[in-house]
Amino acid sequence: MQLQLGIGAILAALFLILYAIPHWVSSPSNVRNIVLSPLFWPYILGGLTGLIGLALVLTGRQRLGGGEPVNEPIDDPRQGIMRLAAMAVLMVASFWVMPWLGMVWTSMLAFVALAFLVRTRHPATAFICAIVVPLVLYAFFAHVASVAIPQGELVRLP
Amino acid sequence: MSLIDSVMAGLALVGNWEAFLSLAIGVVIGVVGGAIPGISATMAVALALPFTFPMQPINGILLLLGVYKGGIFGGSIPAILIKTPGTPASSATILDGHPLAERGEAGRALGMALWASCTADFVSNLALIFFAGFLASFALSFGPPEFFALILFSLTIIAGVSGESLLRGALSALLGLLLATIGLDLVYGTNRFTFGDPNLMGGLNFIAVLIGLFAIPEVINMVWHPTGHMGKVQKLGSKWVTFAEYKRSFRSIIRGSFIGVFLGSIPGIGAAPAAFLSYSEARRKSPNKANFGKGEIEGVAASEAGNNGVAGATLIPLLALGVPGDVITAIIIGAFMVHGLQPGPMMFVLNVDIIYGLFIGLILSSGILFIVGGLAIRGFRPVADIPKRILMPMVLVLCIYGVFAVNNNIFDVGVMFVMGWVGFVMARYHIPAAPFLIAFILGPLLEDNFRQSMLMSGGSPDILLRGPITWFFWTLTVIAIVAITRGTMRAAQSEG
Repeated sequence: MQLQLGIGAILAALFLILYAIPHWVSSPSNVRNIVLSPLFWPYILGGLTGLIGLALVLTGRQRLGGGEPVNEPIDDPRQGIMRLAAMAVLMVASFWVMPWLGMVWTSMLAFVALAFLVRTRHPATAFICAIVVPLVLYAFFAHVASVAIPQGELVRLP
Repeated sequence: MSLIDSVMAGLALVGNWEAFLSLAIGVVIGVVGGAIPGISATMAVALALPFTFPMQPINGILLLLGVYKGGIFGGSIPAILIKTPGTPASSATILDGHPLAERGEAGRALGMALWASCTADFVSNLALIFFAGFLASFALSFGPPEFFALILFSLTIIAGVSGESLLRGALSALLGLLLATIGLDLVYGTNRFTFGDPNLMGGLNFIAVLIGLFAIPEVINMVWHPTGHMGKVQKLGSKWVTFAEYKRSFRSIIRGSFIGVFLGSIPGIGAAPAAFLSYSEARRKSPNKANFGKGEIEGVAASEAGNNGVAGATLIPLLALGVPGDVITAIIIGAFMVHGLQPGPMMFVLNVDIIYGLFIGLILSSGILFIVGGLAIRGFRPVADIPKRILMPMVLVLCIYGVFAVNNNIFDVGVMFVMGWVGFVMARYHIPAAPFLIAFILGPLLEDNFRQSMLMSGGSPDILLRGPITWFFWTLTVIAIVAITRGTMRAAQSEG
């Protein structure tokens, strides 16, 4: 695990120093002193990431074969990965649908979908909570905290 | 303003039922949150934060401090009952608390945990009141080079919150520092990793990052392993803690409180080491040494005194220097910022009423904790029995509303989701999230003070060693780094 992390950190550092910082950080041409440049801090951090990566690789090589687990085992890893993929889809869908459907309705659907994903043993409670919790939160944030909760374009709440 | 005037100003702020109610609600939320394994005091504070936005600053901050204090005690409930610490700080409580629960004396262990927690909390609050003002008046003479040296020293906090591997903690901190560079440059206003998106120009929202890192990974983890939380709940039993037992453990409680205060006032040490140190000292000095680890009530008292002694003391560096003492105070800094307050020495000049209001509120919190904790022990079952697979969807929905409410921006919800996956992957690879968050907060301050120092000196690094204060912090930093390196090498030697 340590070795994988170290290699990842070195690759990330190389990407930062060779591509990301030169392309995605802009600096005025008239900066006389390098320490005052907007590029200085990111380069320092990129370099330190590389050094930490190197240290992780060195310590990882010493521990090679130590059998340190990356994560806890579960009974159904394939199903677990499928559930994670579904969770990612749920998050992406919630994010994109929210402006159109509104936060309340999106939250209700997300609640039900998540309760289904985690295989709840209390579907009726989950369904009731899926309706009540977003409505209570809407009432608090919209009417007490005066936050403009997105209402969407379909059904608008008072 | 004289001391009496300051106290009266503070009293005017908190001498109303709203402040009292905020504190009480905070303690209740904290005890409940701490008592549910997987929620933890940290997540409880993070989730409560958005609800404080419409409140008066003092009430909002009191609510969060109540959550903090309640959460640290609440963590002892599952630690004793199901051998699962609700917060890392309660790990030492398991050693004697759970054997007592197995003997059917959970009520006795929980009662002692409550009494020790409230005593230590009170001692810790007094320490805060006596030392924070003194430290703040000293910090008023700080300029950018002094702050740079202080923040650099504060980054050694990361060693304390890195857990099993310092290198992974350092990697986590570097990720946090890198993420903190996103946005417009502090001096020239040029773009850094913004990709032309106006949402990124102000940097990533702190609340979205913190909720993403601490709450969402728990939700994703539940999706990955829906039955991983199953546990056995012990019975409370009919035996209750007696005043004679409290008196017998009083020396250990006071010793533990002072250990907690001392370690809590040093940024980054945290409550868990304080609890273990207090426990080992109590064991060393106790005539019942042989009973420790088998269900000794004094062991429960010492561990709980150690971890609660930290709760008030971590606010010393927060209020006096603007530096978070641990992860929870890092979140509470966010609350100060949201309410337009900047913790640090200037707060003792500009917002002295809020400072004294907080002091008064904190003293009250020990009493409230005693009442709420007593009720929570008796009513633990409904708290611990909320099905996790109903709780986690609720957490997700709460997070969505809470993060959106900060800036009325759906983009922040997206940031939270992305950070949730980052936090999940970090957890799978045993990379601690706390260094990430602390570095994310301290990163802009470190860079800002460094560049201001360089502007002042025309680019000469000599300014970073300009006086006794900077020398003091540089010396502390070097000592901390040497101690950390030695500790890491010793740990590596004992492993190998």
